[in-house]
Amino acid sequence: MGKGLGGEKAGCNATQIHSRKLPVIRQRLEADTAGSPSDGGPGPALLELQGITLAGRGQERLEAIKLSIEPGERVALIGASGAGKSSLLAVANGLIKPNGGTVLWQGAPPAKSRHQRRRQQARIGTLWQDLRLIEELTVQQNLNGARLAQWGWPKALLNLLLPLETGRCAAALEKLDLDQALLDRPVASLSGGQRQRVAIARLLRQEPLLVLADEPLASLDPRLAEELLALLLDYTRAPRALVMSLHRPDLLGGFDRVVGLRAGRVLFDQPVDQLAKDQLTALYASSL
Amino acid sequence: MPALVLIPVLLVLPQLIHGGGWELVGQFAMAAVQPSLDPVVIQSVISGLGTTAAMALLGWAGSMVLGVGLGIASSRTVWRAVLGRGAPAELIRKLLAIPRSIHELLWGLLLLQLVGLEPVVAVVAIAIPFGALVARVVSDLIDALPTGNLNALRAAGAPAGPALVTALGPPLLPQLLSYSSYRLECALRSATLLGVFGLGGLGTELRLTLQSLNFKELWSGLWVLLAAMVLLETLLGWLRHRWSMPNRFTKKAMVSGRQGQELVALGAALIPLLVWIAQSQQIDPGALLHWQPLPPIGPPHWVALAGLNWPSLVGNTIVLTGLAAALAVGGAPLLLLLVAAWPLGKLLVRGIWLLARLWPPPLTALLLLFVLKPGVPTAALALGFHNLGILGRLLLECAETADRAPEQALISGGTGPSVALLYGRFSSLARPYLAYGAYRADVILRESVVVGLVGATGLGSQLLEALSSFAWDQLLALVAVYAALTLLGEDLSDRARHQLLETSHGDDQSQEVGGAWR
Repeated sequence: MGKGLGGEKAGCNATQIHSRKLPVIRQRLEADTAGSPSDGGPGPALLELQGITLAGRGQERLEAIKLSIEPGERVALIGASGAGKSSLLAVANGLIKPNGGTVLWQGAPPAKSRHQRRRQQARIGTLWQDLRLIEELTVQQNLNGARLAQWGWPKALLNLLLPLETGRCAAALEKLDLDQALLDRPVASLSGGQRQRVAIARLLRQEPLLVLADEPLASLDPRLAEELLALLLDYTRAPRALVMSLHRPDLLGGFDRVVGLRAGRVLFDQPVDQLAKDQLTALYASSL
Repeated sequence: MPALVLIPVLLVLPQLIHGGGWELVGQFAMAAVQPSLDPVVIQSVISGLGTTAAMALLGWAGSMVLGVGLGIASSRTVWRAVLGRGAPAELIRKLLAIPRSIHELLWGLLLLQLVGLEPVVAVVAIAIPFGALVARVVSDLIDALPTGNLNALRAAGAPAGPALVTALGPPLLPQLLSYSSYRLECALRSATLLGVFGLGGLGTELRLTLQSLNFKELWSGLWVLLAAMVLLETLLGWLRHRWSMPNRFTKKAMVSGRQGQELVALGAALIPLLVWIAQSQQIDPGALLHWQPLPPIGPPHWVALAGLNWPSLVGNTIVLTGLAAALAVGGAPLLLLLVAAWPLGKLLVRGIWLLARLWPPPLTALLLLFVLKPGVPTAALALGFHNLGILGRLLLECAETADRAPEQALISGGTGPSVALLYGRFSSLARPYLAYGAYRADVILRESVVVGLVGATGLGSQLLEALSSFAWDQLLALVAVYAALTLLGEDLSDRARHQLLETSHGDDQSQEVGGAWR
């Protein structure tokens, strides 16, 4: 075992952001977290993957993945490209059905009834690397897109024509220190940084318990990446939780746990401050 | 390269000329500048145009409703989102290929035989094949959209329907509107064409005046039609611009909330307008249910059917299609090149193309018969001329949005304007243009029936003959062969287009050509 990477060195970037706006945003997010329902005692894991396998057909393979995410945990998912990180997240949020194994959301398997299943999925928010905002729609329409699980047809159609739930959308923007005037701007007209924040604001509108983030930092400049990471770490305090795949071991410090994936298998799953350098070397070695 | 076809056509031309009607052609040309201004004539022309426009608008509206509904039903993406698999989409697609492969004229004439001369016939004749075509385009457009946003909404628990509408609706809408506006222009042309075959409106007037050699009155009708077409094209162009819709060569488009509201208001205003038009034209859908007494349908005469010269019928149809397509595809860039050095030339060419577009091919064919013998080359000239107008406009649109830097570099290096245009602009457009040409060829194959009345032109002529002699067995066999041929042609042209675009462009372009151009 080599020297631990977490805590003192690697973690400094994510937690010690020197941004003017960040303290304010953090306070707002913390207030938001405090106000949300908490289960009080040790409830079921937010997400449990039991022996997940996925046969590769154009997608990364997964083999016998076992993983459990408890409320309050912030878990980093690392591994070389093609190691299975994206597939794992897609299985976790229900987008891909695994070939074998069981996914449990808050202790329950995906419901048979469509309605129940949608309610389960609504508790899982995903932050995509490419953000997946609908370019042609306004910021407000995009934010409201996160409520479709609760809305029926009429409201979904109305959202395409009229500004709905302006107060709640404005509140979501405000938490990320974005100007309310952005609400009726098309997403296509926003800057890169604004879009990242709008994507997070959409997550807030969804009010998920578990946040899955698929390399959200990959294409960002260092300052923005650190800022975004700090925001997500703050938002996902208990009872929420975070699973984020990322490429940069130097940003691991703010996480509680790190899971190393290699060729579709979990190579290690341990607290960040116990991560050794040679483990990282082994994770990325001969991945060519 | 396709322009080379002009050489054999020019070689054959002298043999075709029978020399009888030059005087008539002269009269026809002279009448262009002195159309009849008799109030009675003008009034009848205007009322004819009203009927034609009403048929076009109603047929178009019907085709859009049918097309969008069936398009959604035949989209793989939609079925995958709803059921998890796309197989039903394939089935619906295959079924829709049949109504699509039969030209609106055939639908019109068939319905005419069944229910008689009712105003609703033309509307339904346009709505059925256009609807099936729109359905294909809509499903292609939907399936070409990236599904990332859809998956994102689904993963957040959104039900399939609202997620589809929210994620795919906004990027689809501008493309759909743009395409539907082109379809409206097509509907006006088709309604005129149906009129030429006796289904009423301006087309009927045009044919009657041409057959009675009343050229001055003919030109009154033509000028009015021209004005209406220019007005429509301008209005639709303005709307496309206002809503920043893509034209057929650009993709970027935005429709946000406010424009959405305008669209809904426009759509809502359209409904009472359509109802009013339908009432004023006495269009009664119920008429479709009252079939005329048909001549007794006996057992099919297999011997007579087999006795038709099928190889020659099919062969002539293919030759006709090839000739007309080559004339149209090759003629458009050639004409542009010829007038490149002449500032007024482009305007003139534009005018000719506009006329070619709106001028129904059977009328051109009849006009050509004044001086040419009937046959495949004559029919090909008529069909080629019409499609030249359509392809030419497309090429101009294409040339105007293309990058001019290479051309300017050539001109600044002392190259002449024609050569600069050829090397600088056309070279980069060649592949997408030819790809569209491949698509157009399959439209021409379907259209070849409309010049059937020139005689001896293959399946088209035989079909018209079978229709007028109530030879139902022959008619069914011919329609089946025609449909099969069209589907085969469609498949070939799809492959050709795919290959042309694969080798030169990325997915973006091919998706554009596969979809929005139709």
